[in-house]
Amino acid sequence: MSNLVLQAKALSKKFVGVQALDKVSLDIEAGTIHCLAGENGSGKSTFVKTISGIYQPDEGEIVLNGNVYAALTPAHAMREGVQVIYQDLSLFPYMSLAENIALNRLRLDGVKIVDWKEVWRVAKEQTEKIGVDVDLNATAIETSMAGRQIAAICRALSQDARLLFMDEPTAALTRQEVDRLLKVVCELKNNGLSVVFISHKLDEIFRISDNITIFRDGKKVGDFESARLDEKSLAYHMTGRDVRYPRYRREAEAAAAPLLAVKGLSKQGHYHDVSFEIRRGDILGLIGLLGSGRTELAMSLFGLNPPDTGVVAFEGKTARISSPVEAKRLGIALLPEDRGSQGLFRERGIRENITSTLLDRLAVGLRAIDAHREREIAEEGVKKLRIRAPGVETPVGTLSGGNAQKVVVAKWSAANPKLFIMDSPTVGIDIGSKAEIYEMVQSFAKGHMAVLFITDELEELMCNCNRVLVMANHRIIAALDEGDMEQPGAERRIADLIGGSARKEEERGVRI
Amino acid sequence: MSEGAIQRRRVSATEGILACVVLLYCVMVAAVNPAFLSVETLFDIVRSSSTAVIVGMGLLLVMLSGGIDVSFMSIALFGSYVAAYLMIRLKIDSLAFAFAVSIGLGTTLGLVNALLVNWLNLPPFIITLGTQNLFHGVMTTFISDKTFGAGVMPSVLSKFGSATLFTLKTRQGVMGLTVAVIPMCLSILLTWFIVYRTMTGRGVVAMGNSPESARRAGFNLLKLRLFTYGYIGALAAVMGVVYISQVNAVYPNKLVGNELMIIAGAVIGGVKDTGGRGKILGVILGIAIIYLLNSTLIFLGLSSSWNNFFVGTLLVASVAVTSWQNRRKNRKNLLFME
Repeated sequence: MSNLVLQAKALSKKFVGVQALDKVSLDIEAGTIHCLAGENGSGKSTFVKTISGIYQPDEGEIVLNGNVYAALTPAHAMREGVQVIYQDLSLFPYMSLAENIALNRLRLDGVKIVDWKEVWRVAKEQTEKIGVDVDLNATAIETSMAGRQIAAICRALSQDARLLFMDEPTAALTRQEVDRLLKVVCELKNNGLSVVFISHKLDEIFRISDNITIFRDGKKVGDFESARLDEKSLAYHMTGRDVRYPRYRREAEAAAAPLLAVKGLSKQGHYHDVSFEIRRGDILGLIGLLGSGRTELAMSLFGLNPPDTGVVAFEGKTARISSPVEAKRLGIALLPEDRGSQGLFRERGIRENITSTLLDRLAVGLRAIDAHREREIAEEGVKKLRIRAPGVETPVGTLSGGNAQKVVVAKWSAANPKLFIMDSPTVGIDIGSKAEIYEMVQSFAKGHMAVLFITDELEELMCNCNRVLVMANHRIIAALDEGDMEQPGAERRIADLIGGSARKEEERGVRI
Repeated sequence: MSEGAIQRRRVSATEGILACVVLLYCVMVAAVNPAFLSVETLFDIVRSSSTAVIVGMGLLLVMLSGGIDVSFMSIALFGSYVAAYLMIRLKIDSLAFAFAVSIGLGTTLGLVNALLVNWLNLPPFIITLGTQNLFHGVMTTFISDKTFGAGVMPSVLSKFGSATLFTLKTRQGVMGLTVAVIPMCLSILLTWFIVYRTMTGRGVVAMGNSPESARRAGFNLLKLRLFTYGYIGALAAVMGVVYISQVNAVYPNKLVGNELMIIAGAVIGGVKDTGGRGKILGVILGIAIIYLLNSTLIFLGLSSSWNNFFVGTLLVASVAVTSWQNRRKNRKNLLFME
């Protein structure tokens, strides 16, 4: 019993009209990895913010290391060793990693005059503790995402962390980087630290956690030993229903002429000799790991990142897609990998985001916008995609990942494109929203749209795509047609192809 | 390794390039007109640029914090004008008094800027553009708008303006190095100490990197803003006194309008207007280049209208280099902004 780092007792927290936390009790033992699972808005983040002192609970109490608190301040929480690594990491981009790691510690000690030897000593001590070799002299912006994660962890450790919350730490990492990070997290656990891990990636949850606590609608569904759950039962507890992704099968006539035909497309250092065809009604899967060249290719097809050589034909005619304007004119849409910075106007409302692709069609008279029609289109999009938001004027920056992504989809589907390129459409999105996005994508394809579906998740590839390209090391290493996809061993085959290429990469040696 | 590594980072490509530009330019001017290579020219450039360097150090701190200040010349004028005005009216002839009054006023006006930036939460450019006019207007309307010529200038200021640290006998006569290098060096040292050795200075840099992260690290952003804008106010006030002493007269409409030249110097020196990046050596070199151009056109036989042309070219070139670097970096991360 004395082994508990945290005991949350019947915590409740209400925001205007919403019960964000409803009598949640949770114990966390020292030296364990604990996962919080749940959909967006289920109360995970509210819980984390309550424990770290940002929110004060309406009811209940928090026991940290045996000390009872009715309400915490951030300073109290830190003194008890609670550290949170937010998704944005809160690093200083143009300061060295050494300073990023040590600055908070020195502030905590009330240092007024900075001794650089001390900065380096603190930083070195922490990196050595977790046994990682990073260039402490490099600025954060020069460092890979994995290196930045490591720096954020070291910064937390330097402040005597005993309970470390990590909010979706793997979202932007390559597979090798994820492996390394998870290893570090296990190392922390062996050193007696408790880690609370928040992730939407179910496979990671199972790989590292000892215990899983599932949240739904502000309530705790239950605590489970991770060995007693599988992905299916976890998904069931998170959503309260059986989540099944229907398998897509093409219904349009097989012999249709290709909508887009790419031949011998190359760009030095990005991708090499890429050839494929896509017909209306196809959901062509493009699976490859981060860094395989998949995003570079998607950009090129949308008129960014111009290729060096190769031919692109659209609707049978050779097309020079030299800009997004040209791509849009042809009827090509792109859902970018990073929706926050490239897919949305975060400060603007849902209405303006959705109608941003068809302003020319909304123009009346002397280039004024038909406000009534604009609102109608926006409301239609919200309804069709089941975007959950207070209203069409809600800024999209305040929406959850799933709902924000639906806005991106709605934006382009309003323009009714012929080819929809979707680059990692479900990254950082909860299970419920995922299912809804799959449903939309499949209905687009049934309505004779062609979809190029880029992903690194095998499961969503298998259920959504009728044909598949496997990309690795900047090349397409295999193409599976509809017949291949119906073979019983298709999933295994693709997994082996990707695994084989990942191993090769491993052998060549990759450093954080 | 670590110590050397930190040292290595203090001098980056920007400063190296700037130093080369300065050297090459000097060689070129000397080739056209050997008279350029003289102690006189050097002392002249030091004298004319010393005021700019003093306030440039304050500007560096403000720009590191992610802010900007276009009101500092107005502050410099306000502080020095009022100090001189009081000295003339009250017949006080003390250098310490001049600096004390000017610095007191300058710091106060700087704090006003900081409070406005913090409360109004508007871009500091707009706010200080407003206060630039406001401060100047308050001075000329409510205090005085008279010009005080050399005849009525307090003698201590006149003496300070023409005083030299040491003199050298050259063929052209006796040359002295202005005492203004003392406040200049002090401001450089103080700024170096603040930026690299104090937690407050690191906080300012941290705020310029990411205000939200700085807040999470426990820095009080209001305090940091008060410090940075107060600091540039104080340095502007020092500069004002040095300036009126060198000119040996007080005009109610000088200085104001010259702030963009200093900002241009800082930007040429590699200080980023987005905050968090900028070096002392860069600012010094940037300002040196501008004053070098300014005072060497004569040696090249060019009219002073070429000055704007050269400064403009340099500014655009340095901004273009930054933009090109960003673009390359963005392309590497698959961001296509253009």
